[in-house]
Amino acid sequence: MHKDNDAALVNDCKRGDRRAMSQLVSQYQRPVFNAAYRILGNKDDAADATQTVFLKVFEHIADYDQKFKFFSWVYRITVNESLNQVKKRRAQESLDDGQASPWQGPAEALDSKRICRRVQDALMLLNDEYRSVVVLKHISGCSYQQISEILQLPEKTVKSRLYSARQLLKTTLQDDETAKPGH
Amino acid sequence: MNEHNEIGQAPVDQRIQELLNRSIDGDISAIEQDELDQLVATSPAVRTLNGELRAVTRLLDELPELDPPQYLQNAIERQVRLPAQNNTHLKKPGRLGGWLSANWLRTGFALAAGVVLTVSVYEMGSEPITGEDSTRMVGTMAKRDLNGQQGELLDSVRLDTDKLNGLVELRQKADLFTLDVQLNSEGPSELVVNLAGRGLEFDGVSRIQDPVDAVSVVDGAIHLASSGEQHYTVSLRRISKAQGDEPLELDFFADNELIQQAELNVSKF
Repeated sequence: MHKDNDAALVNDCKRGDRRAMSQLVSQYQRPVFNAAYRILGNKDDAADATQTVFLKVFEHIADYDQKFKFFSWVYRITVNESLNQVKKRRAQESLDDGQASPWQGPAEALDSKRICRRVQDALMLLNDEYRSVVVLKHISGCSYQQISEILQLPEKTVKSRLYSARQLLKTTLQDDETAKPGH
Repeated sequence: MNEHNEIGQAPVDQRIQELLNRSIDGDISAIEQDELDQLVATSPAVRTLNGELRAVTRLLDELPELDPPQYLQNAIERQVRLPAQNNTHLKKPGRLGGWLSANWLRTGFALAAGVVLTVSVYEMGSEPITGEDSTRMVGTMAKRDLNGQQGELLDSVRLDTDKLNGLVELRQKADLFTLDVQLNSEGPSELVVNLAGRGLEFDGVSRIQDPVDAVSVVDGAIHLASSGEQHYTVSLRRISKAQGDEPLELDFFADNELIQQAELNVSKF
């Protein structure tokens, strides 16, 4: 999170500097894509969301208020866009379709890939509010204060949601003996 | 929220749960940490919960970071219109931006998400293209002859850059078109073939000598990602003659940078 550099690049973008735009995309496409992926649980959807996020960012760059941190603004759009996609997808299909079945086999040693998949599945079972906080904290590496700014929530609410989300994740992961935390 | 331990330990009260979480996040004073350490040392329930929460947190923190698709940066950059460049989005977009913005921005992303198709790549033998073959071809498989029956050469493009070089030939036999792709790149590269509105549909990829790493079809454009030496064919089938004469648009990327754009005529005359 490069606050000063971001501000300069944003100003250059406002003047139509495409190199500055390219630099911002380069700088943020990875964290945006990863946050979107952990909220959506699907790489193609995450790529779509990432494109939309940047289109919205640059479409509204002239209106961007620099008293807010650029990364907070980008992450807020990311979370909102990802959750919008989740809602659209829910209208069409169950989130569980085609995802839960691979992890219901007999108990056996899980390799790291399968554990990651199990954790991602558990994340998808959280409600949107909890999942957003967990993703911002553990995937995007944001502090409580940053999450509070991004989601425009009191820090106390952020903490409460995070703690509850961890508790739920623990329970979900324990339900599947093969993915029990600590293995 | 109290924790009911599975092995019959006393529930852990909410304040201690909060302390455990704050300790995990490093958001705890020294005095509080001392208090928590004592609780962990003396209470099996607190000790168990501490271990479980830390395990969950570790699992979350250790989730791997994924690489965005190679085409993403360029796809974004080509769609973006900065305020000082253009006050509207009606300016004629670039090729990739054209199909992306037209479909995604105007009709919404729900539709776009639904048409993403990931295609497997099959290694194929050397068999000639015949009329019978072309009618049998479905899904992801195509057949091609290396020694003769390659179809008529319609057009070709040669690349000779530092990052990417090689040759792409477009051939036709009846309603079947093949792109013979021979590329060499130092790093990752991607070929994007735009089929939208050309009366052609993607019919598969076959490896000749060197594989393509990933193939996806998004809104009428084929994305073929690879690296190093690549030799494969992309099969296309004509589905509408009325629209079939518009040239194919090819975008070549290397190291996430657009290296060259080309058009290949699908009609010889």
